[in-house]
Amino acid sequence: MQRPSVGSRILVNIVTWTVVLTVAFPLIWMVLTSIKPQSELFRIPPTFLPQSITFEHYWRLLTETPFLNYFRNSMVLSVSTTVVVIVVATLGSYSLVRFRYRGREALATLVLFTYLLPSVVLIIPLYLMMVGLGLSNTVFSLVIAYTTFALPYALWLLRSFMAGIPEDLESAALVDGASRIGAFVDVILPQALPGIISTALFTFILSWNEYLYALVLVNSDSVRPLTTGVMNMLITSFNIEWSLLMAASVMMSVPLIIIFAFLQSFLTRGFGAGAVKG
Amino acid sequence: MTPKGLSMKASRRQVLQGMGAAGLAAAAGTLGSTQRASAQDVTLRWWSPQSSPAQLAAYKTQIAAFEAANPGIKVLFEPTSDEGYAPQLAAAFASGELPQVITHLPSFAVQTYYAQGLVEPFDDVIQAIGTDKYYAGANDVYKAADGKYVGTGIGNTAADMLWLRRDLMEKAGIGDAPRTWDELRSACQKMQGNGVYGAPLPYGLNSMTSLIFIGFIHRAGGSVFSPDLDVAIDSQATYDALEFYKSMQELCPPGATGYSWGESLTAFVSGATATGIYAGRVLANVNAQNPGIADQVTCVTYPTMSSDIPAWTFNDFPSVFIPAGAQHKDEAKKLAAYLFQPPGYIEQLHAAPGHVLPVLKTIAEDPAYQNNEIIQKYPEEIDLMAASAAAGHNLGYETPEHQSNAKAGEIIASNALAEMVQRVVLSGEDAKAVVGDTAKRLEELMNS
Amino acid sequence: MSFSAVARKNTDTLDRRYAILGTVLIAPTVLIFCSVILYPLVSAIYLSMFSIYTPTLEGGWVGLDNYTSLLASGRFWNALGNTLVWTVGTLVLQIVCGVAVALLLNQSIVFRSLARSLILFPYFLSTVVAVLVWRWLFNDLYGILNHMMLWAGIVDMPVNWLGAMPNAMISIIVVGAWKYFPFVVIAVLARLQTIPDPLYEAARIDGAGPIARFFDVTLPQLREVLTVIILLRAIWDFKEFDLIWLMTGGGPINSTQTLPLVVYQEAFGLNQMGMASAYAVTMMIVMLAFMLIYLRQTRQKESI
Repeated sequence: MQRPSVGSRILVNIVTWTVVLTVAFPLIWMVLTSIKPQSELFRIPPTFLPQSITFEHYWRLLTETPFLNYFRNSMVLSVSTTVVVIVVATLGSYSLVRFRYRGREALATLVLFTYLLPSVVLIIPLYLMMVGLGLSNTVFSLVIAYTTFALPYALWLLRSFMAGIPEDLESAALVDGASRIGAFVDVILPQALPGIISTALFTFILSWNEYLYALVLVNSDSVRPLTTGVMNMLITSFNIEWSLLMAASVMMSVPLIIIFAFLQSFLTRGFGAGAVKG
Repeated sequence: MTPKGLSMKASRRQVLQGMGAAGLAAAAGTLGSTQRASAQDVTLRWWSPQSSPAQLAAYKTQIAAFEAANPGIKVLFEPTSDEGYAPQLAAAFASGELPQVITHLPSFAVQTYYAQGLVEPFDDVIQAIGTDKYYAGANDVYKAADGKYVGTGIGNTAADMLWLRRDLMEKAGIGDAPRTWDELRSACQKMQGNGVYGAPLPYGLNSMTSLIFIGFIHRAGGSVFSPDLDVAIDSQATYDALEFYKSMQELCPPGATGYSWGESLTAFVSGATATGIYAGRVLANVNAQNPGIADQVTCVTYPTMSSDIPAWTFNDFPSVFIPAGAQHKDEAKKLAAYLFQPPGYIEQLHAAPGHVLPVLKTIAEDPAYQNNEIIQKYPEEIDLMAASAAAGHNLGYETPEHQSNAKAGEIIASNALAEMVQRVVLSGEDAKAVVGDTAKRLEELMNS
Repeated sequence: MSFSAVARKNTDTLDRRYAILGTVLIAPTVLIFCSVILYPLVSAIYLSMFSIYTPTLEGGWVGLDNYTSLLASGRFWNALGNTLVWTVGTLVLQIVCGVAVALLLNQSIVFRSLARSLILFPYFLSTVVAVLVWRWLFNDLYGILNHMMLWAGIVDMPVNWLGAMPNAMISIIVVGAWKYFPFVVIAVLARLQTIPDPLYEAARIDGAGPIARFFDVTLPQLREVLTVIILLRAIWDFKEFDLIWLMTGGGPINSTQTLPLVVYQEAFGLNQMGMASAYAVTMMIVMLAFMLIYLRQTRQKESI
């Protein structure tokens, strides 16, 4: 392949990085706003870089608002959803890929169908169901609701990870006298582990970001997750504190930043597997 | 509805609950209920859309004192919002997962819920607070058609005062506060410029726009309903009000098309608009967030179309009420009455001085209540707001001649009036046709 | 009994035992699917034939009345129109930006993995955070966007980004594209890296310039992955609720009110649960077309 000239390489770099920084600008602006004092926000014209840096908004967020409470709720909720969904989906996808029984094909199609189903169709019956069972306003009701979108998603993702594991490995273990379950634990699970981690991360992020079910199913601060909790802070009638809201936005994205910093390759892997290949 | 439909009506609730029960294994049910029953104490949930940091601190003190005086009762305060309470409460009523005490909702919302059988009669709580402590007639807006009280006022609010900046008026050569719409418009025109806009009127598709615009209809000499609650909105007064409101849009910040209470307040407090339309909270917020203009801020009643039309002030009559479906009603009533006890109640009022004004004359006269920096700094403004609020009205109770309108809450929640404003102001549709449509919509809502 | 018959019998029982094991493993999935997805789905259709007042949950059977009044109302057609404008608008933007950025990132640039992370981030960001950030950027008085445009002399009055038309629709389309185009980038980038170099060499020898190479070599290679992406994103954009609801709430008036927003407002704003279900079911029927195409597409690919 002919080498591109130095000039064109520099040009490509400049164009690419301009695009990247433009895309990232809203996020940079979010961080900058969160460390500006409130008085600086209302200056016309606005300052770009903060003239004085303050972390008071973060301090106030953690001490004066129910933010930590919402954070804990979101954590409990997302972790529980992820655990339930991953256990069920790992077994389920293994079964869908490696076993033959009646209805298997129909089931796979059903999984794909529900993967595309809008939450808004299920929300009213689910809401009435939770009311009927006396479960509304519990973390449990949200875990149930979240499985409706997370389980099809996880099944679909894991299914393609599982399908990628060579069948010979399992057969070899079976020939060596391992039971089917033994082979699953000793051979399949270790092989599927990266895929499982990737799916778990996706499930966690989906649950962490969910808004509609939390809006409808939960009305108490003791179970309210971050998404609806932080939005509640915006629509109050007494004051809109953008610096506080930006600090909340940054803090809310902390788990995501951690995942990005250390586990990003798993996310890209997930993309490659289920999300696009279909 | 067909006769067949009517016969099914009684069993709806069971049908829905059966639907839920059939859906999931019983194990799920027990898991959920054990989670909830784990608290041995009685927990009372208290909702309010009034939840600024200072108010939260005051509530906390009141809660702590109440819990100390009533061992075994825990109180959990949860904020809601002016624009969000309607859907939140609809869901809460449907699920039966209700807060025990709800405060600061407008009186008409309580009346609407009561008419649907969702609110507990409040007479005994009013007695516990002390009927003779109230200003005369303070609870009239809470009287239901059946003669019972549906709640009580926790305060009075003059929610649509015209806020002004003396410095900007002086700079623009405006001597007196505007009294008519023409004067207001020309004052705003003179003061607009250099990044400052004339007014932060709300044009959003939300309850504030509906509530504020009702005031403009009255200030043009009209009303939404006749005293017998026939739809009376299709009148010259409404056209005039729409025309004025439309002419003001160029004097408002561009984002006013989405404004509700918070944005409108922040616009005036931050100095971005020369006038404001809000209640007394302006005073506390200006002093805390923009002290540079604190000495320049004052308020008057909002101007009317012409000087022969009397002023009309929007008072939402912030309420206290108890949902009929709530558990632990006795404890809830105890808490509701406790909220009016002097040291705590005064601290609560001081959290937003001049915003929520006392309904108990015993409190208004209490030296402890008068002993507040802001109340002492702005005596004229506070007195004016108190007088305006006492003579104030809202859609549930448009004038002294009007019957109580039990559908007002639903009409506000439907955004029908805000939609009318948006169609005329933003889309430039013909006012007569739009008002005609709105009148039909209101009739539908009244008959639904 | 011959040896092979024994072996066959053994494999038969083994097959049966495996089938049972497979059924046991799939059982929790089936149970959950039936109780929290299929059952509510059927209920939604059932509920759409009632008139239910939300706070009291009382009401009665109305048959297909909800559907007839829905189809006769301007509200439904307006919302459907808005949904289509939003879906097509944001989808086109996502695809164009996504492919363009993927092509850029496929070049050798400095700090490529950092660039890729920054591009990818918005996709995983909570919609709530995205909306807060953009509403602050769009703020009429203090928003940086207006000030930059005033400063650059593009406008002489702050722009009303979310409260006027067509600005509001354009704004949500742009924010939607910003949030979701990374999905396209990653998918396309993965495919780009597998296009064999000789194809480009051959085109170059034939005298094709960079633009011709894109249309003659790259695009045909991307066709398959783009079809899948377009179908998936069309379905997901069509049902988007959070972003639009939190950005504009459907306003001004009802110009950005899409079908999912109508469902929520009918159920909890206007307190008509039956009608809300009717909207939800109708919306699903509209979506079914896309979903069936996608299902067929995927099945075809699997059978190859």
